[in-house]
Amino acid sequence: MAPEPDSVQPGSFRDPSGFVFRRAGVLYRQVNTSYRDDYDLLMSSGLHAALVRAGLLLSHEELPSSEGHKTIKPREIPFISYPYEWCFSQLKDAALTTLAVAKTALEHGMSLKDASAYNVQFLGGRPVLIDTLSFEKYREGEPWVAYRQFCQHFVAPLALMSRKDVRLSQLLRVYIDGIPLDLAARLLPRGTRWSFGLAAHVHLHAGAQQRYADKAVKPGRRRMTRLSFMGLLDSLEKTVRGLKWRPAGTEWADYYDETNYSDAGLEHKKQVIAAYLGRTKPATVWDLGANTGLFSRVAAAAGALTIAFDIDPAAVERNYHECRQRDEGNMLPLVMDLTNPSPGIGWRNKERMSLSERGPCDTALALALVHHLAIGNNSPLPMVADFLSGICRTLIIEFVPKSDSQVQRLLATREDVFPNYVREAFERDFSRRFAILDSQPLQGSERTVYLMEKNRP
Amino acid sequence: MISLVFLWLFISALLQPAYGYLDPGTGSYILQLLIGGLLGGIFALGVFWKKVVTFVKRTFSPRKGDGGTGT
Repeated sequence: MAPEPDSVQPGSFRDPSGFVFRRAGVLYRQVNTSYRDDYDLLMSSGLHAALVRAGLLLSHEELPSSEGHKTIKPREIPFISYPYEWCFSQLKDAALTTLAVAKTALEHGMSLKDASAYNVQFLGGRPVLIDTLSFEKYREGEPWVAYRQFCQHFVAPLALMSRKDVRLSQLLRVYIDGIPLDLAARLLPRGTRWSFGLAAHVHLHAGAQQRYADKAVKPGRRRMTRLSFMGLLDSLEKTVRGLKWRPAGTEWADYYDETNYSDAGLEHKKQVIAAYLGRTKPATVWDLGANTGLFSRVAAAAGALTIAFDIDPAAVERNYHECRQRDEGNMLPLVMDLTNPSPGIGWRNKERMSLSERGPCDTALALALVHHLAIGNNSPLPMVADFLSGICRTLIIEFVPKSDSQVQRLLATREDVFPNYVREAFERDFSRRFAILDSQPLQGSERTVYLMEKNRP
Repeated sequence: MISLVFLWLFISALLQPAYGYLDPGTGSYILQLLIGGLLGGIFALGVFWKKVVTFVKRTFSPRKGDGGTGT
């Protein structure tokens, strides 16, 4: 099997070991001839089997190949997410997965040569390494080639999130190859110099990078023993495990306690949403503004792979912990500002996909969201309808009128320049993009939930 | 704390030119060589300590059947 022109995935061009391509909608990875020995060692050493068995590496099947060494068909990841969309614990779990892979590789005589956070994806709610070609034969005496990358992709952002401000994860969106260590060292509090791991892997590391950035001196005779290699991985693991962050006192932390829903109203809303999902029967649901995932779980319970987006890292953190505790494999909470959703970034803006490129989903939930976009972000309703019609096929949307206390709260500190924010205008503007299939007023409130289907072009 | 002091002693060692390459990863490479011995030593001590703790626990913990006096 050979790739067709233009089918090569734009995120895999850097890897000399192989590349990812699509054919007839199916994702394949070609293993180049230059990577033959390492690939064969990966398979024959038992490392591949051990990693797949432990749930650390994406499984694949080998196919006959006319080009390159092999063509493999990896298990498909249903939704690709990126490190700047993960909450603290997701990034931490991805870091620990990467280290567990590196340790297992060493036990099998191989070394993990790439420690990019982009090589980790969430499958069934758990982080898994997706880059099968990230291994090379371990050569005694050589340091860990991926050390710098691991520190930039994991240690630095986790340290900044834990010890400075959790929102600094967004630096990963700017620095696609991880946060430069000199920048991390400058941003971190001075006290972090007295933490052994952060002193070594961030502060000292940044100093060493600057010291030797442009030096051309003879190669040294010094070598790194296997014990030192294991010590390095162990130290990184202790450093990562020692970094913690607990959400407290954030914007949405007590949202459900502060809404104007009664218990009966919330239950009715769940029933309406469940009934609409029963009609649309989605395989994928994007819950936009999911908070801690109360209604996402209605979709997940209906069997849909549910991506629960929220702007608040604390809400996403809580949601992720709940997913792990309940072992909810078909939920993926992610941090997303819908007024500034993830763009396409990297080389030619194509290495990492924008949010809309990862859609459309079958059904989007936009519950208690439209007033934030229309009033909080000054987005005219036709634009909100345009945006939503670009990312979903069917839409379950809640209209929150101006008289609602949540909207009143938004209007308390701004002039009401939204004369068109009324139910009739909402229905008219959304009808240009969607067919309104049904609507239901919610018990105990002035809100209405609609079921809509995107108009065919 | 002792290991942290050792670590910072390496900083002064690092300030002395040793080897280098025209490569952005040179500093990362050299840092590993410099701190690798220390980290390897800490790791080995940790493994040894775990073995000691396991040995002590096994030796001094009551075995199954011991102390079962019945009623």
